[in-house]
Amino acid sequence: MRVKIDGIELEVQPGEILLNAARRAGINIPTLCYHEAFGGQGHCRMCLVEVRKGAEVKLVASCTYPINEEVEVKTRTPVVEKIRQNIVMLLCKEAPASEIMQKMYVEYGCEANLLEPNEGERCILCRLCVKACEKMGASAISAVFRGTSKRIGTPYDEASADCIGCAACAQVCPTGAIEVRETSDTRTIWHRDFELVRCKECGRVVGTKQQLDYLRSKLNGITPDYELCDTCRRHRAAKRLKDYVRV
Amino acid sequence: MDQRAMLEPNIRTVLVCCGTGCLANGSMDVFRALQKQLETEGGEFQVRTYTKATGCNGWCEKGPLVKIVPDDITYCNVKASDVPAIVDKTLKKGEVVKKLLYRDPKTKKYFKSHREISFYTKQLKVALRNIGEIDPANIQDYIARDGYQALAKVLKSMSPEQVIDEVQRSGLRGRGGAGFPTGLKWKACASQAAEPRYVVCNGDEGDPGAFMDRSIMEGDPHSVIEGMIIGAYAVGAAAGFIYVRDEYDLAVVNLGRAIEDARRSGYLGDNILGSGFSFDIEIVRGGGAFVCGEETALLASIEGNVGEPRDKYVYPTEKGLWGQPTVINNVESWANVPVIINRGADEWARVGTATSKGTKVFSLVGKVYNTGLVEVPMGTTLREIIFDIGGGIPNGRQFKAVQTGGPSGGCIPASLIDLPVDFDSLTSVGSMMGSGGMIVMDDRTCMVEVARYYLNFLAGESCGKCVPCREGIRRMLEILTRICNAQGHPEDLEILSSLGETLQVASLCGLGKTAPNPVLSTLRYFRDEYVAHIVEKRCPAGVCRSMTEFYIDASLCTGCGLCKKNCPADAISGEIKEVHVIDQDRCIKCGECINNCKFQAVKVR
Repeated sequence: MRVKIDGIELEVQPGEILLNAARRAGINIPTLCYHEAFGGQGHCRMCLVEVRKGAEVKLVASCTYPINEEVEVKTRTPVVEKIRQNIVMLLCKEAPASEIMQKMYVEYGCEANLLEPNEGERCILCRLCVKACEKMGASAISAVFRGTSKRIGTPYDEASADCIGCAACAQVCPTGAIEVRETSDTRTIWHRDFELVRCKECGRVVGTKQQLDYLRSKLNGITPDYELCDTCRRHRAAKRLKDYVRV
Repeated sequence: MDQRAMLEPNIRTVLVCCGTGCLANGSMDVFRALQKQLETEGGEFQVRTYTKATGCNGWCEKGPLVKIVPDDITYCNVKASDVPAIVDKTLKKGEVVKKLLYRDPKTKKYFKSHREISFYTKQLKVALRNIGEIDPANIQDYIARDGYQALAKVLKSMSPEQVIDEVQRSGLRGRGGAGFPTGLKWKACASQAAEPRYVVCNGDEGDPGAFMDRSIMEGDPHSVIEGMIIGAYAVGAAAGFIYVRDEYDLAVVNLGRAIEDARRSGYLGDNILGSGFSFDIEIVRGGGAFVCGEETALLASIEGNVGEPRDKYVYPTEKGLWGQPTVINNVESWANVPVIINRGADEWARVGTATSKGTKVFSLVGKVYNTGLVEVPMGTTLREIIFDIGGGIPNGRQFKAVQTGGPSGGCIPASLIDLPVDFDSLTSVGSMMGSGGMIVMDDRTCMVEVARYYLNFLAGESCGKCVPCREGIRRMLEILTRICNAQGHPEDLEILSSLGETLQVASLCGLGKTAPNPVLSTLRYFRDEYVAHIVEKRCPAGVCRSMTEFYIDASLCTGCGLCKKNCPADAISGEIKEVHVIDQDRCIKCGECINNCKFQAVKVR
């Protein structure tokens, strides 16, 4: 079927998520809680756009909206822009220590107001960390509590037996809100210490012992060279291939 | 004993209201005392007498209520100590105990039957048709009042399409708040190819002060079950779930027993009434989250997930419980279904307005004489509900506003008192039907504080998933708290409006979309109060403590001493028959003096 996004006509598959269709057409819709690896969550509402069908106009979150009818979409209307500005303002007040929010605050032309900034906070509760942890198969962290008390944590804020210390949560976090501390042989994350495994060739951190054990258990007997980092592993593979060709 | 026997002239039945309000006021003691005395003295009666514990009669203000049939006597505020008088005079001699009758506060007239009292004369009981008349634990009582006849009619003589058509023709709209046409919802589900399909009853009533669904589940559980079986037949569902708010213990017990009795009687389970149609119901207890009243959060909760809503671009009728087509309706909607089938869509839809058919149950609470549960035809005006049924505002105070639709409803001002109550009228003035809460406020209510109170409730009960709702409510609450503490700024009003508008359109679910209603509606109708708080640092109603000062007008004070007696801080001095004075240093600004003064001598500065 055909849709029109900001004047650009394009062909979509029924059920295709609107955000993906727009990006395919080269239209950038801002997002904060969206990641290609996890799909839409509909949390941040930054990606709200106007969808028109005949006289009916509605606002939808483009990251979760499946296109099932031929509609006309407008991604930057005054209503939408005002919503985005308010969202950025709210999140910047809530996570003023986040550089990305500070930048967006200026970018979206938010005006100064009397709301009290939540000093020192970085988390915008986009929950990409929770999604990453879920995707890793650990599900050690989740969004806990309700309403304005909502935050990210491990059960009872204690060291979680399910956490493998992979720090995928911290890596995916857009605001640097998850604290990871590393010494030469230990990584501390989510109230727990993990033993670091270093590359036998170059000494770079490969991961935590728990993470590598976990990956081995998932791979059913296939044992790649976990004592090596990605780069050295590729070097070794290339060398093996070279030797093989030479013979 | 069954209902038919009850109607025989030589049998008398004493119906003791054991609804929520009456139970809290000791109606179980009354019931036990009656049973005990009847057991020991029953032989002395000329008329065989039975007692029954019923569900809520709605007139909670006057509870515990005791009704005697067929004599048609209603006793109010009955205590266990009144039982001997009831037994000796009424049950033995057929005489009325005058002091237990309702006495109109204005006309001073006594009323023998509740039917003649203004609280009941303007009501029309459809969803509440059996409550207060039957023993909810006895399926025979329900059957005697046309119970399960609609189900038999449906299974014997109607196709699923005909059932949907009938419900659609009735114009029934969802009683949970959104007012979506029920028939349309059923049709959408029935048209899906996927199986199995489910029906769900939303009994997660969480609005503060609302107890409509609770009363139905407690007082007439079979009406909900029968409605669900009919719905399941119409959409082809094999299983149903009743999601009950966890705090509703009695509802869980009564529904559980009713489901078992219905199974035993062949109304639930395999091959219902020999029709070949099979269906069963399970009860799911809620987890204590207000947001689980939102249908997608409720479905997530049944599935065992965290109760958070999702975007509804695909309706539950297509992908609901475990991804299967699901019809979810509110308790009151389900309870209406058997009546629509029994009486026919046209007869059921005879009352109501053009777009809102039938009746609606409201829990009438707050500053009104007759608090309780009322059911009125759609289109009844606020004035009729508050003044005719509710009896007006107590203590000689003025009516100021009424909040409809629960914590996220709007406050409707006195100038709109003649507004007809239906889905569309309420929405048009910035409020909503919601599930039917109705909180009456008098002139001692600060509208800014009211908005702050509800936002505070919602700040704790939002699921916290989407940014507008979580952060928007947090910040609106911050501003309102500041205004109530005499620290408001003129620009606050603009931010409140702007955030409110963003929440209304950008939030993920209905909770967030309606959350700003208390703020936006009070800003619209009571803006001057906001301005008084912010600019003059004054709370006109005398509620916000940091800017309230009470004083006694010497020209009006009679020296009755009532204020002094009721002051919890010993801040009032004065001899009897002399002018009293408030010590501002000791005053904690609770307002007891102003609330108790009969001469309007206590003033707010």
